[in-house]
Amino acid sequence: MEMQKRLLYLGAIVLCGTAMAAAQDSPLPLPPAVEKELAAKASNVTEVTLGKNMLGFAAKFMNGKDEDEAATRKLIEGLQGIYVREYEFDKEGEYSMEQIEQLRKYFETSEWSPIVRERERKNHETTDVLVKLVNGESQGMFVLEAEPKDLTIVLILGPVKVEDLSRLKGLGGLSSLGDVQKDIKPVKKGGGE
Amino acid sequence: MEHEELDDFERELKVALERRPAPPSLKQRVMVRRGQRRRPRTTVIWMRLAATLLIVALLGGGLRWGLQQREEQRQGEEARRQVMTALRITGRALNQVNSKLAAHNHGGE
Repeated sequence: MEMQKRLLYLGAIVLCGTAMAAAQDSPLPLPPAVEKELAAKASNVTEVTLGKNMLGFAAKFMNGKDEDEAATRKLIEGLQGIYVREYEFDKEGEYSMEQIEQLRKYFETSEWSPIVRERERKNHETTDVLVKLVNGESQGMFVLEAEPKDLTIVLILGPVKVEDLSRLKGLGGLSSLGDVQKDIKPVKKGGGE
Repeated sequence: MEHEELDDFERELKVALERRPAPPSLKQRVMVRRGQRRRPRTTVIWMRLAATLLIVALLGGGLRWGLQQREEQRQGEEARRQVMTALRITGRALNQVNSKLAAHNHGGE
């Protein structure tokens, strides 16, 4: 009887450990069910998941002589992770607003502050940019860009310095983040709302 | 006189060329010496074998190191490419945000 109890305890500990490990291994802190549903319906999916170790590894292979690569290296070296999901759908209405709301709710915590929030009911487009603030410093950025046939989710964890992002001229829109920050008026609701 | 000298010489030659049995220990001494001579040859063979093995091990190690380096390089390039893809998508998303904000600002003015 005592042996059975011990085995039960051991089993419980192993299960807890496995669950904790699985939670830690989960690359993107998004509800996995939503992620799977979106991927299943999308005609084109781009998934990039880079943890701290992988970013450090990639940084080693960035050419210090190239200006853009040197800036990228500087940017990613301090980051905890970059998680990007881009879904392209063949037709409109392949994903629901409930799914978007689920994703959004995931970041509705006290440490995440919305800096852009836009809803265009006419075009069925929504835009959210949230910044994770820890002791007044930006420690993460979440971008959710939903268009009728496209959905982009970007999560950058770690100290995101706008000036570093702005230096990435060769990477198109990243330099525009500085402009986004300049343009920001506290939480902006557009169009339909 | 001359004939006597020749006889002496013949006698000496006969004695010198006389068939004598080998001493009983000769065979044993020859065998021992043969054994002693063979031992260094075995050592040389072992040394050659060891040298060959060392060269093979060095070549194998070098090849393995080269392959590992190549694989690491490939993985690094792949990671770098993924970082660039992620940042490009991030850039595109932020660009769209920026455009929308700019459009709003223009609309508001």
